[in-house]
Amino acid sequence: MRRFITLRGFTMKERLTLAGGRLLLIGLWGAAWEVAAASGALPRGLIGQPSEFLLDFFKLVVDGTFPAAALITLEAVFIAFVLGAILALLTALLMTAFPMAERLAAPIIDALNALPRVALIPLFILWFGIGTEQKVASGVSIMYFVLLSYTMAGAKSTDPDHLRLARSLAIPGWRTFLEIIVPSALPAIFAGLRLGMIYTVLGVITAELIAGGKGLGTLVSYYSNTFNPNGVFATLIALVLITIALTATMSRIERSIAKWHAPIAV
Amino acid sequence: MGPEPTPEGIHIRGLSHEYVRGDESVEALRDVALEIPAGQFVSLVGASGCGKTTLLDILSGLLDVQTGAVRLAGRPPRAGRRDTARMFARDALLPWKSAFANVDFALATRVGDAAERASQVERLLESVGLGEFKQALPSELSQGMRQRVALARTFSLRSRFIMLDEPFGALDALTKINLQDRLVELWEQVSASTVVLVTHDLAEAAALSDRVIVMSPRPGRIVADVAIGLPRPRNVRALHATDGFQKLVAGLWETLDSAS
Repeated sequence: MRRFITLRGFTMKERLTLAGGRLLLIGLWGAAWEVAAASGALPRGLIGQPSEFLLDFFKLVVDGTFPAAALITLEAVFIAFVLGAILALLTALLMTAFPMAERLAAPIIDALNALPRVALIPLFILWFGIGTEQKVASGVSIMYFVLLSYTMAGAKSTDPDHLRLARSLAIPGWRTFLEIIVPSALPAIFAGLRLGMIYTVLGVITAELIAGGKGLGTLVSYYSNTFNPNGVFATLIALVLITIALTATMSRIERSIAKWHAPIAV
Repeated sequence: MGPEPTPEGIHIRGLSHEYVRGDESVEALRDVALEIPAGQFVSLVGASGCGKTTLLDILSGLLDVQTGAVRLAGRPPRAGRRDTARMFARDALLPWKSAFANVDFALATRVGDAAERASQVERLLESVGLGEFKQALPSELSQGMRQRVALARTFSLRSRFIMLDEPFGALDALTKINLQDRLVELWEQVSASTVVLVTHDLAEAAALSDRVIVMSPRPGRIVADVAIGLPRPRNVRALHATDGFQKLVAGLWETLDSAS
């Protein structure tokens, strides 16, 4: 079967040009930063120096500091992500099956979602201590709402003609839900999962920043408190790489499941 | 009293319909009466907003009858009636299912045996010229090909009543005539059903139908009922080349103009 368009509509040449352009952009920025720090034009003790924090990054990877901290952070991220996803999908299932429940709960959910979750972390520490549980609670409190709103929007985006088709074919309600509404919502669900993944990392890192422990967030606050901007940036590199790896994995799973649909950008 | 109800066909009497939104209401249909004998191919034409799709939705059971009486083979319309098939203006193919699976999805509501179903689906897709595209997803097909899948899906049901809502509205002229021929073939060979076709294309209505019903702008009423005496089997492309056909279409235009 001939495909009518190349992947994501870009040719290989265009993709290489784009990648090269991005590398150049990052390179120029890094070089400017390096020069500014090395020449003393900007205070090195505050902004760090790329050549040094890149070296720090590799050192901290090799000596096992980052892998150990990343494992602790990722454990909380994984639990929060899965727990938040299950809770959000179950809530969405209930709300789709019982529109009355949605009308009842929607304003309350909006209000909770408007709450700055960081403000809840002291409460979570009070309830769960400073271990993994409070980090999970912080991650879930964000993940749940992100995925819930995406899933509900996805379910509502079902093509009305598809629902009319199901009616005209006398397809039972539960099959319409599984075979029409769920697949219609899948692209939005995946977008929610991808965005939710990023926000779960955010929630967990914030919890670590505040409560301490042994994760990457704790390292950020440690280096910051010891006036070591290079350490902070090295940790941020680790965080960015982890988040990119996580979302890339999500996209890969998405492409293998929802082949018919271009991913929704988030 | 109107004409005698046709027991096997479609019977509509005193049908009015109103859309209400908040304090406003729009009268879509007013006192429509129509008898369609079984096996007839009827087109509903009229300006946009004349209520022709409303009428089709009522016949398909997707809208409730508010005022008046509607019977299909003696029974009121209902969504999901096994003897009624509906084709939508945009193909309404499920984008995550292949061409084959889309037809199979509908046919599964009628035929339980998967092997029997598979052979029927394959034959239908071949008859609309998509034998090689069975496994293609809708996004990999052109609009014309997608409508052919939708056509195969609609006719797979072998329903007594087939409701078509502007099935070729979004197609270019050549693809349109090609698909009209497929539709005529399917109807003449595969199943001799009662067909109601909503269209704003008068040439399409004339080429396909036994009868063209002209409706007035809102509120929709029937203003003309034109019998199309063209012999069958028909070939739409060949028809377009004849003077008689062009005159017929010109006559329909005049009728439509005087209705609005």
